[in-house]
Amino acid sequence: MKKARVLIVDDEEAFANNIAKLIAKRGYDIKAVYNGQSALQALDEDDFDVIVLDLKMPGLDGLATLKIIKRKKPSVEVIILTGHGSMESGIDGIEMGAFDFIMKPVRFDELHDKIRQAYQRKLVHEENSHNFMGNKE
Amino acid sequence: MKCGPVIAEEPSMTMVKSNHLSNGEKQKAGHYSRLYRKFVFLTLISSLVPLLLVGWGIYIYYSNFSKERLKTSFQNQVESHRKIIELFLKERTHDLQLVALNHTLEEIKKQPTLMRILDSINREGQYFTDLGIINDQGKHLVYIGPYDLMDKNYSQTFWFKEVMKKGFFVSDMFTGFRSSPHIIIAFLRIEGEKRWIIRASIETEYLRSLVENVKIGATGEVYLLNQTGILQTSPRFGGRIMDKAPLPIEQFREDSGIRTLNVNGGNPEGSHSKQIVAHAWLKDPHWLLVVKQGYDEAFHDVNHANRATLLFLHLSLLGIIIITAIITRTMVKTIKNRDRESEALNKQLIQAGKLASLGELSAGVAHEINNPLAIILMENQIIRDTVEEFPELDEAFQEQLMDSLSQIDSQVQRCNLITHNLLRFSRRTVSQIEAVNINAFLNEVIQLMTNRAKGMGVQFITNLETNLEPIFSDPSQLQQVFLNLINNAIDAHEGKPYGSITINTQADLQKQGVKIMVADTGSGIPQENLERIFDPFFTTKPVGKGTGLGLSISYSLVNKLGGDMSVQSVVGQGTQFILFLPFNRPGDSEIHSEEHPEQPSFQNAEKEPIQ
Repeated sequence: MKKARVLIVDDEEAFANNIAKLIAKRGYDIKAVYNGQSALQALDEDDFDVIVLDLKMPGLDGLATLKIIKRKKPSVEVIILTGHGSMESGIDGIEMGAFDFIMKPVRFDELHDKIRQAYQRKLVHEENSHNFMGNKE
Repeated sequence: MKCGPVIAEEPSMTMVKSNHLSNGEKQKAGHYSRLYRKFVFLTLISSLVPLLLVGWGIYIYYSNFSKERLKTSFQNQVESHRKIIELFLKERTHDLQLVALNHTLEEIKKQPTLMRILDSINREGQYFTDLGIINDQGKHLVYIGPYDLMDKNYSQTFWFKEVMKKGFFVSDMFTGFRSSPHIIIAFLRIEGEKRWIIRASIETEYLRSLVENVKIGATGEVYLLNQTGILQTSPRFGGRIMDKAPLPIEQFREDSGIRTLNVNGGNPEGSHSKQIVAHAWLKDPHWLLVVKQGYDEAFHDVNHANRATLLFLHLSLLGIIIITAIITRTMVKTIKNRDRESEALNKQLIQAGKLASLGELSAGVAHEINNPLAIILMENQIIRDTVEEFPELDEAFQEQLMDSLSQIDSQVQRCNLITHNLLRFSRRTVSQIEAVNINAFLNEVIQLMTNRAKGMGVQFITNLETNLEPIFSDPSQLQQVFLNLINNAIDAHEGKPYGSITINTQADLQKQGVKIMVADTGSGIPQENLERIFDPFFTTKPVGKGTGLGLSISYSLVNKLGGDMSVQSVVGQGTQFILFLPFNRPGDSEIHSEEHPEQPSFQNAEKEPIQ
């Protein structure tokens, strides 16, 4: 199976780095950035399958970043990280095309499961569209 | 509800608080009774003083006025009687004068002539009893009348001397030779050398009838006295003609007047009474005319009117006092109720304020804490991963490390639960308003809790009103509320072998909603805890078992849904929560328009039970 490429976007550097470390150990291609701009930049440079996106960030915030990501690469699956207080934002995120949202603090296993599910869905979508295109051909 | 150790509340503090409360109640009662007295006092002063002033003023003025009028009328009466008597005597004197001046002694000496004269002067009425002509020696020359007086010599009588001196004379009442009271009028005619006297006695019956027939009320009388106080007519009560009058004549020296006297005897009302006496002196003869009446009778009408006035006045006073008392009582009661209402409202506002400020604070705190917690969890995982990479580590060390890591995990989860609950306050969730069949809904909630309840020996009893209208509310929020209430109710049975939770529903058509009562048979809540039960972080559960947020969250949720929630409890018997939920949430339409129809379900993230 192809290695899933994951981008972590969180202004808490320690958190982003920790996740990056743990995810990498479980056989993913991982990159951690600490703000929205860097995330968009990284997206331009590389392809990613799953993006874990914190909502509350200085500068370009999570929702704005999500909007641009979905415009640029609609097929990428985004998991939103949010505090409990901003559940509405999480819902808004889902409406804007995010795969799901997770409330902080989250146990790593849970996050790992979500990433796996997101990746699965991405694969299924890709396959479907591939089949669709194939049928057309 | 459970009544465990009271956290952060020393028993002595509670005592102080409850004492303070009862003092406050006493003070409040004192305040209202002071208010009552003040209102009554001011109202009475402002209404009674003018009434009394006017009432007493009218009373005094009117009674003086009427008494004066009565006295005047008495005076007038005495005057008119005097005139009548004077006129009568003057006319009789004139009659005699006319006879004397128009006849010579020669003419008048003849019996037929004198008889004709008597007839003519008695033409208008039988005024004269007899008529006689007397020479200057005091001997009768001729006499016409019923008595045998021809041989009488008058030269020594007082009136003969008077008439010889003054020319004419009107006597007092006297008995004379005929021994019955009478008055005589005598006139001296000087005819050249000859001097003779014409003398007539007045029919006293007529004079007496003028006076004695006057009857004033039951106690009034009229009589005449001469200068020495001898009665000239018989009074109506006590005394007879020619007696000494029971009246201190020496006090009646002025021409006329009116006075009140305390008279002993001589009246119909007993030995002693107050009388009003009017008098007037006649000119000739110098007699005193007295009109008198019992004071009480004379002023009966006036006194009656006065008494009626006073009675009316005092009845009015009584009426005003009673009405004032009643009105003031009602007013103070209204004020009391209004105070109580505003106090209750204030309490609610304070509670809402507490929750709101806690919401703001907790949102900030929770956010700040969540990030470090997230990092701790990840670090934990990293350590786990790292340990797995070093299988050569000491077995015991690894075991201990793993234990510690799981402990860290669970403690972070606990923190997580607290922040999670805290954030429920501040979260502006869009309520998912839909029609909820409250009975079916409650049965579902009971279903969820049945197993836990069974484990504690608690059974559910439902008493649900059939055909309840559905309410428009948020079922997931309601679920939180009722799960919380039932959880607490089950916990309240800790230490009891069995118990029950009774859930009633009841339509409240007046308030347009449903009343839901959740009652348990648990340990109950003491009064001092009951007041703080909806406060955030107030809990009686042991440390670590509850956050003290469950009921305050339920309270704010119910408020948000347009309802309200209250609690009653008896220690040792149980606790009852009473919820009211409206059929329609206030401001419903607005919320419907905000709703997003294709909102996806995400509630799995919200399923942690609150405690």
